[in-house]
Order: sequence, then C-alpha cells, then structure tokens
Amino acid sequence: MVSFKPTDEEAAFVKMAKDFALHEIRPAARESEENKKVDHAIIKKANELGFTLLELPESWGGLELPLISQVQITEALAMGDLGVVQGLGGAGDAASFIRMDPDNSLLADYKISLASGTETAAAFLNCEEDGKHKVTIEASGGEYLLNGRSAPVKMAEKAECLLISGVDSAGEDVLLWIGHIQQHSGLRKKTGGDYRLGLLSSHFASYEFENVKLNQASVFAMGEAARSLKDNAISRIIVLEAAKEVGLMNAALSYTAEYTSQRKAFGQEIAKFQGVSFNVAQMAIAASAARNLVWHAAMKIDQQEADAIGFSMGTLNNAHEAVRFVTDSAVQLLGGHGYVQEHPVEKWMRDAQAQVNVFMSESELLARSGDYLLSGTKGGIQDDILRTVTASKPS
Amino acid sequence: MISYELSPHQSQVKAIVHWFAENEIRPIAMISDKQKRVPDEWLNKVNSMGITLSTSSFGDDEGRNAAKKEAKGERQGNRLGVIASEEMGWGDPAIALTLPGPGLGGPPVQHSGTPEQKKRFLSIFSRDEEPRWGAYALTEPDAGSDVSGLQTTAVKTDGGYILNGQKIFITNGGRASWVVVFATVDRSIGRAGHRAFVVEKGTPGFSCSRLADKMGLRASETAELVFEDCFVPVENLLGGEEYYENLSSGPSGFRVAMKTFDSTRPIIAAMATGIARGAYEYTLDIINKEFPKHGRSYQTACAILAKLNQNITASRLLTWEAAWKADMGLPNAKEAAMCKAYSGKIALEATSKCLELLGPAGMEDTIVEKMYRDAKIFDIFEGTNQIQQLIIARHLYEPHGVRV
Ligand SMILES: Cc1cc2nc3c(=O)[nH]c(=O)nc-3n(C[C@H](O)[C@H](O)[C@H](O)COP(=O)(O)OP(=O)(O)OC[C@H]3O[C@@H](n4cnc5c(N)ncnc54)[C@H](O)[C@@H]3O)c2cc1C
Repeated sequence: MVSFKPTDEEAAFVKMAKDFALHEIRPAARESEENKKVDHAIIKKANELGFTLLELPESWGGLELPLISQVQITEALAMGDLGVVQGLGGAGDAASFIRMDPDNSLLADYKISLASGTETAAAFLNCEEDGKHKVTIEASGGEYLLNGRSAPVKMAEKAECLLISGVDSAGEDVLLWIGHIQQHSGLRKKTGGDYRLGLLSSHFASYEFENVKLNQASVFAMGEAARSLKDNAISRIIVLEAAKEVGLMNAALSYTAEYTSQRKAFGQEIAKFQGVSFNVAQMAIAASAARNLVWHAAMKIDQQEADAIGFSMGTLNNAHEAVRFVTDSAVQLLGGHGYVQEHPVEKWMRDAQAQVNVFMSESELLARSGDYLLSGTKGGIQDDILRTVTASKPS
Repeated sequence: MISYELSPHQSQVKAIVHWFAENEIRPIAMISDKQKRVPDEWLNKVNSMGITLSTSSFGDDEGRNAAKKEAKGERQGNRLGVIASEEMGWGDPAIALTLPGPGLGGPPVQHSGTPEQKKRFLSIFSRDEEPRWGAYALTEPDAGSDVSGLQTTAVKTDGGYILNGQKIFITNGGRASWVVVFATVDRSIGRAGHRAFVVEKGTPGFSCSRLADKMGLRASETAELVFEDCFVPVENLLGGEEYYENLSSGPSGFRVAMKTFDSTRPIIAAMATGIARGAYEYTLDIINKEFPKHGRSYQTACAILAKLNQNITASRLLTWEAAWKADMGLPNAKEAAMCKAYSGKIALEATSKCLELLGPAGMEDTIVEKMYRDAKIFDIFEGTNQIQQLIIARHLYEPHGVRV
C-alpha cells in the first residue's frame, strides 16, 4: 500500500536529528566556517547520538540503517548547516563501501580504530568523475603506480585513510585503500588551499601522487567485483548527498517563508506580493519534489531494484538543480539582506554551489542516468568514455 | 542603419579599459577579495593616472535634449559607458566600484544639482590630489525596494536642515568625501516630501557605524551610515529650495532618486555581462587546454558554453539598446530595467555553470568562484529583479490602461 508515513523509530530519530540540527549545528555554522573546522564538541555529540554511524554495518559498531531511514535523518541534520554536516568526518563516503564489503581483511586496522572510538576520518577520491581528478593509475605486474594531482577532496585535510576508485591503464576497475597516508613518501596532501566558495568547514585538500606504488595489499577490489562494488556504493553515496541537499533546501525555504512574512515594503508584508509568494511556492515545490525523488531512490536501493543505480543519478541531478534554485531564491527574496552575513542564506547559497561542484556535475549525472535507461543496468557507452578520459595522462 | 560595429572611438575606449582591467585590475582581484579592501597604494596609483569611475558622464545635461546632435556628431556617452563598464566587470566589479570618483553619487548631482553644486561637488575629483569618492545613500533598514518608506528625517532650521536617521548598504559610504542622502521633510506626504542632500564627510552628527561582511563584492565597501542631529546647510540641498518650490506638483527627491536609475542600470547591467563573459572566457580556455576533444564531457561542455555565449550576447545587446536609446534622447526606462533583470540572472547562471564545468578544482583559488559570489548582487542592487519586472510590466500594460 502506498504510504508516506515514517516508522515510529524513524520519526523519533528524525526528531532528535532536527533538534540537534537547529539547536547545536545551526548556531555553530558561522564559527565553523570561520575556523574552517567543526567544533570538536559537535563531532563528539554527533558520534554519541549515532549520526556518523548510520551507514556503517553493525559488525563495525554502526547502525546499519536502511537507506530510506538514513535519508530522512540526513535531511534533518543538513537542515542545521550543510557545511557542518560535511565536516563531521568519520568513515564518510567510505562507509558505503564498508557496508558493501564489511569483512574485507584490508580494512581490519581501520575497523579497530573506528571501534575504539578514535575519530579516524577517511576520504574518498573518485577518479572516475569526468576526469576531473587528474590522477592516473598504471597497472604493472600486479602493482599500481599512481601519478598526478587530484582536485580538492572533501575531508582530505583531516583524513588518515584514503579510498581511491578508478580505472587502471588496462581499463580494469580498481578500488584501492590506503590505511596510512603518511606511510607513502610519494603521496602528499596539499592543505591550506585558498577556499572561499562554500563548505569551508569540510576540510578540503588535494592529493599529489608521485610514483606512489601500491601492491596487492592495498587492493580493496578489482575487475568485475570492483565495478559492482563501486556502482552500489556510489549510488548510496549519491542518494545520501541528495538527501543533504534536500535538508539545505528545507532550511532555506523555511527561513525565507518566515522572513518574507515579516518584512514589509509598499505598506504590506512582502509575502503578499505574488512576485514573492509564487517564488516561495516554487521553492517549496522544488524541495518537495526533490525529497520525494530522494526517498524513492533510497527505497529502490534498499529493495535492490534493477533501475536503482541509474535512477539515483537522475535524482542527484534533480537535487543539484533544485538546491541551486532554492538557495538562490532565498538570497533573492531577502534582497540586500540576503547578500550580507547577518543572515545565513548567503552562506547556504555558497554551500549549495560548492556541494554541486564536488559531487558530480549536473549534466554528467543526467547523461549517465540516461545511459542506464537506454542501455540497461550496465551503463553502456559511458564506461568506454570514462576509460579513455581517466586512462589518459594528466596534462 | 542597424550596426553592431563599434566606432573607432568606442573600440579605442573598449581596448584601453580592457587593457586596464587585464593588467591592473585582475592581478589584484583575488587578494582584494581576500583582504576585503582594495589596496590604498593601488588606489593612489590609479587616481594619479586619472582613472575614475564616473557613471554620470552619460546622464549629463545634454541628455535632456540629446536628440540635438552635438557639434562632433551623435551623442554616445551612454554607449561608451556600457562598453567601458563591461570591461570593468570583466576585470573585477568590486574593484571597479571602488575606483575613485563620484560613483553612483554622480548622476543625481549631474541631473539635479545647481551649477554651483555641480562645480563644488564634482570638481574635487582630481588626479593631482588624493583619491576621493562620492556615494549614494537611499536604502534604509526598513526601506529598500520601497523607497517611499524612507524614515530619515530632514527638519528645516535656520540656514539648513537637521538630518536624523540611518542608511545601510551604502557603497563607498565610509570613504566618501560626500554622500547624496535622501531624507523626508514630511513623512505624511510620502514621496513629495523627499529631498536629496549632499552631506560632506566630517559634518558633525554624520558617521559611518560599520561595514557589512558579504557573500561577494568583498573588496567593495558597504557601509552603514548614521545621522544624529546632523546639520546640513541649505546650499547642500540638491537643486536648491527653489527647485522644489517652483513646481507645485513635484519634482521630489524621489524623482531625483529614480531618474538616476535609467542611466545607472545599463551601467550595472554591463558590469554583470562582463562578469558572465569573464567566467565564460576563463572556462572556455581551460576546456580547450585540458579537456580531450571527444567524449561526453566534451560534448556537455560544448552545449553549456554555446548556451552561455548566446546569453552573454543577448545580455550585451539588451544593454546596448538601452544605452543607445538614452543617447538618442528616447525614453529607456523599460529597456534599462530589461537589461538589468536579464544580465543579473545570466551572470549568476554563467558563473554557476562554469563552476560546474570546472568541477571541484574550480573551488580553489579561481576567479570564477569569486565571480559567482560577486554576480549575485547584480540581481539585487539598483533595484531587485522583481522590481525590474514590475517596471517592465508597468510599461507593457500602460497602453492598455492597467497599472500593475
Ligand atoms: C553590496 C550592496 C551594495 C549596495 N549599495 C547601495 C548604495 O550604494 N546605495 C543605496 O542606496 N543602496 C545600496 N544597496 C541597497 C540595495 O539597493 C537594496 O538592498 C535593494 O534595493 C533591495 O532592498 P532591500 O534590501 O531592502 O530588499 P527588500 O525591499 O526588503 O526586498 C526583499 C524582497 O522582496 C521583493 N519585493 C519587494 N517589493 C516587491 C514587490 N512590490 N513585488 C515583488 N517583490 C517585491 C524584492 O524583490 C526582494 O526579493 C546596496 C546593497 C548591497 C547588498
């Protein structure tokens, strides 16, 4: 039976997340942005309340929640502040890979360190994203040689571990895990970069690889196994990112509705001008449509539906577009007050654009999603192009 | 005859301003954004070179009967203004707005000042002296789009007026040698009570209380001004008292405030077009150099860039049309609103799409990232997008006898 009613458990968890978001995350947003890091007390509390453990398997001390529950909770959290949520750390995007393959012996050390309560962060470098990271992976005799420089990667500045997804010079899929970055002399982080756009508390940094040699002991998966792991894990990440964008949209929508209901011009509340109220209505439509798609995509993944992966890409495309529209509208409807830092909407608009920049481009997502529609679950021609792009030498 | 060709003079202005934008403005764009101010040495240097931001040369006296040809030929001040402003916006809009000169305060003085006032206030800008600025102070905490709601009061007293009130978001308000301040002599009569005063820096009771931190345009000063029992001599009432007394029906300070928009909006629109073009050119170059010339990401980039190219060109043409009309002495309020509304939108669209194409690398230390933050203000100041739409709609419905 069709229903939109969350379970009691979900509702309780969402309420807790919303309280945390509005009372602890939101008030810390500006300071986090200025300090370029999230206050430790918030990270600690997020860990205690389980917000960083939603995706991790139970055998890892995680909550192993279905994606449909996670998207609701994540959405509520991001209503506080997206920059803070992206800076919470922990296993982050790697959690979805761990979820897919919890018993991989390669991760034994990381499992111990996470279970012991240390907040070891992991970063995820997806070299397949339209060749935007200029890193090459050369396969030779069971070893991999990495060279080049990545674009900024979320949490990289803080993370000790790094998960790399790519296609090697022979066109094979590969997933590599680096447990201790500092143990590789050719691998350097470029930290302290000049970031001003958004998500400033999310610890962006880029990686430089100079003949970094990784042997079999660093191979999380390869070939067909790696492909299927990536497809599944990345579609989970995509849906969770889209859920965060829905949270940001809801924040911008409610802030704007409240502001425009009180601000007066031409002798009345500006909400009474249709130029304002219709725009707020459009924001609401965009946010609700995006939320519905995210929930639906999450359910498809939970139920392992055949079109889940392609659908999720379309869903993130929609969320990207919607979050840009909604946050831009929020600034617009606050007028000059939206552009200055007394109100949070200017930050939300910057965060939204940074989020869109980092998590796969709109056009790429849409085209990939279309590939799945036309060529079935394999993703068709896309793979070939990706291979040519990522296998080419960095310029 | 329809022509899109720049005259030799126009080409020359474009080339010179572009040279300046590329070689003088761009090198300090990122650092000025970071430090939230344009370096003083730089301002001293450009001032001594005689470079100023003047938005008033195009709305000057001749504008009233511009249909008359000037001795040298067709009047072209407005077109020159938008051609130059596009290059300035391409360089950096925050720095452009910080160039010494009367700035947005120029047009009201030009339009409505007495000959004595024009001389007194506009002659202080000189390359032989320290850099100086003018400013335009209309907006208040509770009066932005709706200027008629302004609360700052001007009470007539011996030899002048006493001003009380607060202004916010005033570009160059802190550094300005004088500020055109709009105040009301009688709140109960609405717009008819508005007056424009030139308040000089150092006038007792006039102070700058703080500067705003912003999403972008960070190198440009956005000031909050306070007037506490601030005495302004009658000589500083723009146009003089007779100006208001002679015509019983108006002009009011409101007219003064609104009239300047028809010449400043195309200037602002041109800057927005320049921002869009700057982001587009930067991205086109990167894609050309770094993308393989095949595959899907290349195709995607082609489609996006082609669309932006159309939008940028349309934006420029709308702006040129508005400026051309002003040069011809034709009414251009609708066109000025159109180019402002269109350019504000496409500047954001272009910078956002270029960031998409650049991907995560675009977030770190690129001019496009800054341009995205700068672009948004162009949809807000000098009348928000909604207000431009209102103006356009009013003009469209006027012949049908409907006021929207
Ligand atoms: C960086 C910066 C520099 C500035 N420089 C100057 C300056 O030098 N001098 C100066 O005087 N001002 C300046 N301003 C102020 C600017 O012009 C105003 O912020 C702008 O006009 C909007 O006014 P507001 O902020 O009060 O917004 P509001 O008027 O409160 O508008 C809020 C929202 O309501 C909408 N709205 C209002 N009325 C209607 C309506 N009737 N129909 C439909 N929608 C409506 C608006 O479009 C907007 O979306 C500056 C502002 C900034 C941020």
